[in-house]
Amino acid sequence: MKGLRIALPGGTLLEGACDLLRSAGVARLDPARFERELSVHHDDDIYVKVRPTDVPVYVEMGACECGIVGKDVLWESDRECYELADLGFGHCRLVLAAPRDSAIARGQWPQSLRVATKYPASARRFFAARSMNVVVIQLHGSVELAPQTGLADCVLDITATGRTMAANDLVEVAVAGASTARLIANHAALKTRNDAVGGLATALRRAAAVRMAEGAA
Amino acid sequence: MRGPDALPPQAINHGRADGFVDHLVGPAASRRRLTDAFIETFESWGFGFMVTPLIEPLDTIAAGVGGAQQSALFRFMDSDGELLALVGERTVSVARVVATQLREGPFPLRLCYAGPVLRNQPLNAGRRRESLQAGCELLGATGLAADAECIALAAAALERGGVEHIQVDVGHADFIPGLLDSAGLEGGARDEVLAALARRDLVAVESALANTEMADAERRLLLAFPTLRGGREILDTAASGLRGERPQRALRELAELWDLIDAHAITDRVQLDLGAVRDWDYYTGPTFEVFSADSGFALGSGGRYDTLLSRFGSPLPATGFVLHVDRCHDSMVRTGAIHGSPPVLRISWDEHGYTEALALARAARERSLVCACDLLEGGDGDVHVSASGRLSAPQGGTEYPTLDSAVSALASHQQ
Repeated sequence: MKGLRIALPGGTLLEGACDLLRSAGVARLDPARFERELSVHHDDDIYVKVRPTDVPVYVEMGACECGIVGKDVLWESDRECYELADLGFGHCRLVLAAPRDSAIARGQWPQSLRVATKYPASARRFFAARSMNVVVIQLHGSVELAPQTGLADCVLDITATGRTMAANDLVEVAVAGASTARLIANHAALKTRNDAVGGLATALRRAAAVRMAEGAA
Repeated sequence: MRGPDALPPQAINHGRADGFVDHLVGPAASRRRLTDAFIETFESWGFGFMVTPLIEPLDTIAAGVGGAQQSALFRFMDSDGELLALVGERTVSVARVVATQLREGPFPLRLCYAGPVLRNQPLNAGRRRESLQAGCELLGATGLAADAECIALAAAALERGGVEHIQVDVGHADFIPGLLDSAGLEGGARDEVLAALARRDLVAVESALANTEMADAERRLLLAFPTLRGGREILDTAASGLRGERPQRALRELAELWDLIDAHAITDRVQLDLGAVRDWDYYTGPTFEVFSADSGFALGSGGRYDTLLSRFGSPLPATGFVLHVDRCHDSMVRTGAIHGSPPVLRISWDEHGYTEALALARAARERSLVCACDLLEGGDGDVHVSASGRLSAPQGGTEYPTLDSAVSALASHQQ
């Protein structure tokens, strides 16, 4: 076996992942190319585009040696992978948000709460620290609708800019976590392909540090 | 075309529990042969084969394994109300036996086992709920020669089983905790780093260390974690700039262990891995994992666990390992290293030829051929016995004058 198989997340992180791979000198990949092909060969490596939640699955099972995925996905995944590097892009926060006119938005936390979320495991961890009577309702999209329709009292969801929340008249009540893109690796691959996996980690970490320094400057 | 509407209203599993698999004829046989190869190797190194129950009291298991493993047990209650569980691993059972029935020795005691283990894995995760483990335990020996023997035996068993391209990673369970302690990391910060390492979250390790007063050399060593691997030379690199007796002792033990592994002539398959992350509550000394370039999972793992037996009232040093038969078998199937069973030869016969056909089958089996006689007359086998007792290839082909020549003809079919 020569090259690495690397899982990239489809969606909002794909462009950032391709950018970082390019600036790290690892691969020149055009994100648009993944609209036509699900897997792209580059030098000896193979890049596959999969759903973000599937990245840890491919990596844990050894179908890919490495993957790039948001920390928010790892919060929800029980897949055992090595998390090698914070890649410094794809910033977003996991926040508890409630309708502007609700009691909780005014800082009065009720005894019991119905929370709609795409992040049930994170929700359980977040509320475990607070002795509250919480019913978690797992949805797969458009959680902002849940308070409007009376399905839930509030939502626990990812936000990058806060615009979608504001547009739906939701205000942030608490921050449950902050997420960025991460490089993950298969357990055995880290041991048996240490040069290749370690080399990729070093290159991406260095490129991410350069970008963060540029961003700060 | 049958559309999605044609899905039955509920899953029909035809009587098999979800998450379990049937091993059908060919793969079941090669899996058993692989297990046999492991056990035969263990026995040839003087490890006595023993069998422990599939079920243990929950208390027994809880004395040995941590919370995460306990929560993945299949549990139930017997008629007396005792909580029982299907075993999720078998070292604890062996430890229980040794601490109770074999506590008088003679030591060192070499034991091996093979059997199913069960884990209540989530459905549809692609993970096995039932898998086969074969392992060895070497009890009552403190010296590193015992650890080296286990590493060499694990490698030997895998190779005898036909598992290719193996790589053994040897680490030390006390190196990282000792490093943290001698660096003055205490309480919450220490636990945070160890927990992050256990989760294999190196990003969290880095941020946890950033908030500590740790010396640069030690911080660099911990952050270089995934790359702290190689031959004996990495021990010198690691030792420079390292304070504290505990991590230094771990490094000295690894150096001695490396020389012993060298004496077993397997250093070409072994790497030292100072960043090895293992269960720190369970392991007390050298640990190892076996990988293959052909599998994304560890094929085997082991290490020294000197405190386990004291939990059963008989303090005894112990070291051992387990091989994951199904993972090994999977990787061999993927690489085409599994050889199928030989085809079953068929002996057909005409009226009155049955007795002769059975005699031919007996003679063939004596030569280790795999054959079966037709149950009804008039078939068309690899060798046919006519009504007059004549032996021939099917459909009046080549005639075989003697039983021996017919057996030889069968043998050529089976090759």
